[in-house]
Amino acid sequence: MLLAASRIPALQIYLPIAALSMNLFFLVGIGGAVGFLSGLFGVGGGFLLTPMLIFSGVPASVAVSSVTGQVIAASTSGALSYWRRGGIDLHLAMYLILSSIIGVFAGVATFAALRAAGQLDLVISLGYVVLLGFIGTLMMNEAIRALIKRRSGIVVREKLPSQHTWIHGLPLRIRFKRSKLYISVLPVLAIGVGIGFVGALLGVGGGFILVPALVYMLRVPGNVVVGTTLLQVLAMMAATTILQAMQSQSVDILLAFCLMVGGTIGAQFGASAGQYLRGEQLRFLLAALVLAVAIRFAVSLILAPANPFSMAVVGPGGVV
Amino acid sequence: MMRASALLLTALLLTPAGLARAETLVSTVSNPNIAITSSFDGETLSLFGNVEPDEGKSVVKGPFDVIIVITGPSVDRVARLKTNNFGLWINTEKVEFQPFPTYFQVLGSNPLEKITSHETLEAERILPDAQTRISANPASLHVDRFGTELVALMTAKGLFGINEEGVKFLSPTAYVAHLTLPADISNGLFITQTYLFRNGVLLAKRGDSFAVNKTGFERFLFTSSRDQPLLYGITCVLLAIGTGWLGGAIFRR
Repeated sequence: MLLAASRIPALQIYLPIAALSMNLFFLVGIGGAVGFLSGLFGVGGGFLLTPMLIFSGVPASVAVSSVTGQVIAASTSGALSYWRRGGIDLHLAMYLILSSIIGVFAGVATFAALRAAGQLDLVISLGYVVLLGFIGTLMMNEAIRALIKRRSGIVVREKLPSQHTWIHGLPLRIRFKRSKLYISVLPVLAIGVGIGFVGALLGVGGGFILVPALVYMLRVPGNVVVGTTLLQVLAMMAATTILQAMQSQSVDILLAFCLMVGGTIGAQFGASAGQYLRGEQLRFLLAALVLAVAIRFAVSLILAPANPFSMAVVGPGGVV
Repeated sequence: MMRASALLLTALLLTPAGLARAETLVSTVSNPNIAITSSFDGETLSLFGNVEPDEGKSVVKGPFDVIIVITGPSVDRVARLKTNNFGLWINTEKVEFQPFPTYFQVLGSNPLEKITSHETLEAERILPDAQTRISANPASLHVDRFGTELVALMTAKGLFGINEEGVKFLSPTAYVAHLTLPADISNGLFITQTYLFRNGVLLAKRGDSFAVNKTGFERFLFTSSRDQPLLYGITCVLLAIGTGWLGGAIFRR
């Protein structure tokens, strides 16, 4: 299972919750590699790290619950720097956080029920295929169009689509000063619940879904959207970690620590590397990466498994 | 089932008589307490013993054969079968085995079928397959098929197995066996049951044990996650925020 690990100097670390021994350099390394990408693209990296852990043999339940630590660490430094620059709409973030915690409760409960029913791996795989396939296709489409336009010499001025949609006609409107918005609270809450549910179930922070949702659905301006998203992801992942620790007891603190150390260092290098790439090139690469993960999961669902039989331990703490 | 219990009964009735006229077996384990630390990557331990003459006799008559069965702590386990539904491979069937050992190794000084009869092996539950028949709910369908596959899965992980060259005789009466425990072994009490045979007849049985425990920091983390899950979760979050903050602070300079 650890093909990559066998070529790295052997320094095994025993992970007490995952109940397996893994190479320290491998763990810090994938944390660093994903951290690099997360710094490069400005995303939490959960959607890459969780699958990488699952494909290296970490039980899906432990992977999903432990990656949250890395996402928190990655979001913290980003959120702090946006906070200093005043790039966070606290009022909007509060609505998103509170609603996402409701979603997290539902996600963690669903997670436990699916694990007991033996369908957790299936739903995680399906979730990744659908979610990443959808987002990846949208991003790829947009990035390719931007690349073609640039090549043909047309100056692109991305204009947001028409200012008013049905979302803006909903009742219960609230004024969000920093975002300069006066919109209904209902779509805000719906986005929060949805992100919380998906995040807890799939082990992703959801930044790569939340940013487009806030921009395209709510018209949150660019100067606060990333900061607000980072704060929301941070708070939501904190809630997920605590709930998973209590409900499924599958948070491996040592695994999480190895990942977050690598991730934090990698993110700094990624952020500097990002300055040398153009926006649409970055978006194209990110889209390719997202689609690759989606395809990898799709293949695992469609191809006949090497062994149709599998085993698991029943009851809480059962992780195999 | 009836046949198995009849055989078991016969074995139980025969054994005391066998023991009375037979040699005594002394045995021990090299390390009765195995500690799993942060650098744990599996451990080899030795099981050794000697055949002693009974009181009143001065010599023992060989040749002997020894089978050692090492059984780990049990958990409730489920075996699942994926089937193709509309193009997707989905877990559809399952059989539960409650309780089922997390570890089961058989070490022999010769091929098992040469040491004794299949009936004895069955009656003494020496073969891994016997474990599945003990713990499965007999009402579930396909117990045998799922049981065989479960044993195969456990064998592939190195947790179940038969090693017919695992026991070496150092002299006509003294033997030693080496057991390599994999890294992902369960914690708890491991029972080693040693069987002494001569010409296919069970002469003596002896049980020893050793414990596998997570120690130090690993044990502390594991027990905290089970006993203080709220505190454990909050600690995780604070650790992550601290790491993220520290990373940002260091690299900003």
